[in-house]
Amino acid sequence: MQEASFLILTALAAGSQHGYAIITDVATISDGRVRLRAGTLYAALDRLRVDGLVQIDREEIVDNRLRRYYRLTADGRQQLAAEADRLRANAAAAFTRLTLADGTSG
Amino acid sequence: MTAHAELERRYRRWLWCYPGWFRREHEAEFLGVLLVGAREGQRRPEPRECLDLLVGGLSMVLRSRVARSDRAAVLALRLMYLGAVVELATVLAVLASMGEVRSATLAGDPGYTAAQWHAEVTHGLDPIVVGGAVAVGLWLWLAWANGRGQRWARVVFVLFFALNTCSLATGIGDDSAVYARVDLAAGITLWLVQLAAVICVVRQRSTVPGSGRTSPGKS
Repeated sequence: MQEASFLILTALAAGSQHGYAIITDVATISDGRVRLRAGTLYAALDRLRVDGLVQIDREEIVDNRLRRYYRLTADGRQQLAAEADRLRANAAAAFTRLTLADGTSG
Repeated sequence: MTAHAELERRYRRWLWCYPGWFRREHEAEFLGVLLVGAREGQRRPEPRECLDLLVGGLSMVLRSRVARSDRAAVLALRLMYLGAVVELATVLAVLASMGEVRSATLAGDPGYTAAQWHAEVTHGLDPIVVGGAVAVGLWLWLAWANGRGQRWARVVFVLFFALNTCSLATGIGDDSAVYARVDLAAGITLWLVQLAAVICVVRQRSTVPGSGRTSPGKS
């Protein structure tokens, strides 16, 4: 799973959000490292919708502008959890190796 | 015109990079996101934004919209692109084996003239090469359309397979396809790839979300 997709799914894990809120939330989650642009966001959202991981939740009009909220599907929640598990296992392996290396060199 | 209105007009123009179905479904919210993210007093999109919109629009036009979980559809697309490659290889094989064909013909008929060979190339080999080049385009076009969830592409692809099968069978039947072994091998390989693709096309799921009007909660 690409990092942008992972971060978008993470942003939606706590509840539905509209496009701009996803962009700001992804920046917060990644500590400012990933700043999605609108074109990138909508391309990723389209891919996630096609894959059945995200769906449209609701729409509202704010300041005469359409806001569309997106939410995770059950499949999306499952895939996010699986990907998070995979990343955690990789990180744990990396930390274990680093600790071993530190112990050997120290 | 205010800076805001001018910026909106320019963003709207950039959204023409996106396909019609996408604009109908997402233009209003997309514009909202772009305008909320704009700087105070900004009158035109920044170069990076333009590039992002261009790349995003092109990816929407070209990219497959098949769900990764639909293995039959994913495999069908791969096989169709493989078919285009094999078809291209077939055309190249025909071109490369012309010398072999001429030598074999001369060996069988020492009186074979240059004029006869020219007529053979014009009426026999050139149509094969042109037809092959058209077929490469057809493979790519049908793969693209099938990847966009177009049902007609599946029907046309099955008809294309039937046509190819008849063509190969006729060619083998009247010996016109066996003028060089390499061409026959390429033709059979192509047919097998197409057969596998047809099986996958028939088995793939029928819907691709988001290419029509989508209601909230029904994506």
